[in-house]
Amino acid sequence: MEYNGGSVIAMVGKDCVAIASDLRFGNQALGIASNFQRIFPVTDRTYVGLAGLGTDVTTLRERFRYRVNMYTIKEERDIEPQTFAHLVSSTLYEHRFGPYFVEPVIAGLENTSSGSKPFIAAADLIGCLNFAKDFVVAGTASSKLYGLAEGLWEPDLGPEDLFETISQTLLNGVDRDAFSGWGAVVHVITKDRVVTRTLKGRMD
Amino acid sequence: MECGVRCPRRRRVRPFCTQTAMYRGPGFDFSNSLRNDFLQHKGVALPKATSTGTTIVGCIFKDGIILGADTRATEGEIVADKNCEKIHYIAESIRCCGAGTAADTEFVTAAISSNIELHALSTGRKPRVVAAMTMLKQYLFQYQGHVGAALVLGGVDSTGAHLFTVHPHGSTDKLPYVTMGSGSLAAMAVFENGWKPNMEVGRQPLSPALPSWYSNDNVRPAVQREEALKLVCDAVAAGIFNDLGSGSNIDACVITATHTEMLRNFVKPNERVAKELKYGFRHGTTAIKSEHIRSLVVSEEITPIRGEAMDVS
Amino acid sequence: METSFALTGKGYVIIAADTTAARSIVKMKVDEDKIKELGTHLLMAYSGEPGDTVQFAEYVERNIRLYQIRNLYPLRPPAAASWIRRSLAQSLRSRNPYSVNLLLGGYDQAENKPNLYWIDYLGSVVEVPFAAHGYGSYFALSLLDRYHDPEAPLEEGLATLKRCLDEVAKRLVVSPSKYMVKVVDKDGVREVEI
Repeated sequence: MEYNGGSVIAMVGKDCVAIASDLRFGNQALGIASNFQRIFPVTDRTYVGLAGLGTDVTTLRERFRYRVNMYTIKEERDIEPQTFAHLVSSTLYEHRFGPYFVEPVIAGLENTSSGSKPFIAAADLIGCLNFAKDFVVAGTASSKLYGLAEGLWEPDLGPEDLFETISQTLLNGVDRDAFSGWGAVVHVITKDRVVTRTLKGRMD
Repeated sequence: MECGVRCPRRRRVRPFCTQTAMYRGPGFDFSNSLRNDFLQHKGVALPKATSTGTTIVGCIFKDGIILGADTRATEGEIVADKNCEKIHYIAESIRCCGAGTAADTEFVTAAISSNIELHALSTGRKPRVVAAMTMLKQYLFQYQGHVGAALVLGGVDSTGAHLFTVHPHGSTDKLPYVTMGSGSLAAMAVFENGWKPNMEVGRQPLSPALPSWYSNDNVRPAVQREEALKLVCDAVAAGIFNDLGSGSNIDACVITATHTEMLRNFVKPNERVAKELKYGFRHGTTAIKSEHIRSLVVSEEITPIRGEAMDVS
Repeated sequence: METSFALTGKGYVIIAADTTAARSIVKMKVDEDKIKELGTHLLMAYSGEPGDTVQFAEYVERNIRLYQIRNLYPLRPPAAASWIRRSLAQSLRSRNPYSVNLLLGGYDQAENKPNLYWIDYLGSVVEVPFAAHGYGSYFALSLLDRYHDPEAPLEEGLATLKRCLDEVAKRLVVSPSKYMVKVVDKDGVREVEI
């Protein structure tokens, strides 16, 4: 966790979800890059963020992409966020006794008969899922983000309000964490578009 | 059919090319172990797994079993989930509370639930609690305590109501009232104080001297709750209020020969008060460096290029 | 101690690595080339455990060459970085892993832009505008952060590199005496004197 640093957060809004992370990639205390993407699109409306050891972030992202592609070909439909969460969970639990050092966060819009429904989930490094109704956090700043999100999050935020809330939560959280920061990226997923914004953050 | 007890399968570390294959054999994958030992040696700390520091309880009453659990999941000193579900489904009239490493309790109960269903289908009988208990203990014994699941298993089958505890190493107990998890001592104290054999349904109304959180709207507006159910709630509440690893709400599950009632968030003694102010931010508070919009709406424009539209009447 | 730097600029990547081959406290050699030319437009600087480094670099070199022979076109820098990362991640899960840190610089002829990848022995990869490995990185990264310009012409890029080398020579106790500097751009790879 602390070796490369980094944090991820996801929040539920009204008919939308947001997922955000910082952009730091460090080698312990030394910052190497400020453009490390740890959030990846899974489908059009589902994103996954992987906080943890850099090498495992890349390895798992490759593996998830492979398994999702196989799913899509077999089922001839996109994977639902909930199904994907279980795919993540079982992949991680398979490595119960030799885990990947990664805490995934999943955010997406579920397809239901009455339109789409926001979905977020987080897993620990051995795949224990946490289906929260409000927000989930992961990474080196998670302890700070829990408190901030608990205070700032409120139900039924629209896409723009949700963007402000998640951005402020993340930025202020990572400012109190030495291993996270160096810029941030936020994805706000709504029914018909995904808005990706890079934020101006402290570079210290 | 294979017998339940089996030697732990020796698995070779698979070559990398087959590692991403769609079908993966059963059992755990140890391919990261060498690397993780090496990283650990280098001082890379293993992230903490979610554990359910938990109070889980169960007790027998006249018509069956009641299971109870708190809803807190912890990651070290952090409360990772304030309202998780710890009463897992095994079969319609068999349920299982889990304490310990959260992922283990989740996956062990799911695996046994699935095997019990297959067993029920192949025998054509309703599954028995001892069968689930035996599967669980054999599984856990096989992993010598490394699968860290401490369980309270309860249910009603053709032979009556049964209540077991299963420890991570595979030992089991059969008792009329049981507790497990970090809050087990607090909960057991309540049981020892209040349990009596053949507790009945609805004979005694709730005692008038109730704790404050029992009053008002927290309790569902049922006319009368069973004596045993109250005892279970009291036991879990003792854990919630006296053990750091347990907290939030009380889940309960009443299993009788004819009916299973899952009472999710039966009592909510720790409900959060509404925020007095709004903490939203003015739009534009956050400075943006760049913006990219991926439109998911596929729009197409049709331009007729020849003649009139086809007559479709 | 071993140190390597790299930076991108307008249409090029510069990679510099020290040339000492040391064993314990003894300098065995001062003209060791630690920047492998993996292809016409791909460079890789390697450092780490002696033995592992050369072994791994040659393994990579041969495999990249094999790809080119089989497919009649070379691996592009991002694909090469991905393959190398995977090899390292795989090796890390074996009984004796390669302990090699790399800087991979290439010129992508399809997109006409330079690529630079920072890769460590754990199999972490990041695409970066500038990078460094070894003790020199503690000095160089801050200088590069201040002076790096992605649009700078080659002379300016080399001047920035010179700053780093001078600073390391000035402040690092165990600083290397000599560096090998190579450049890759649209015309391919070449060595430059600094």
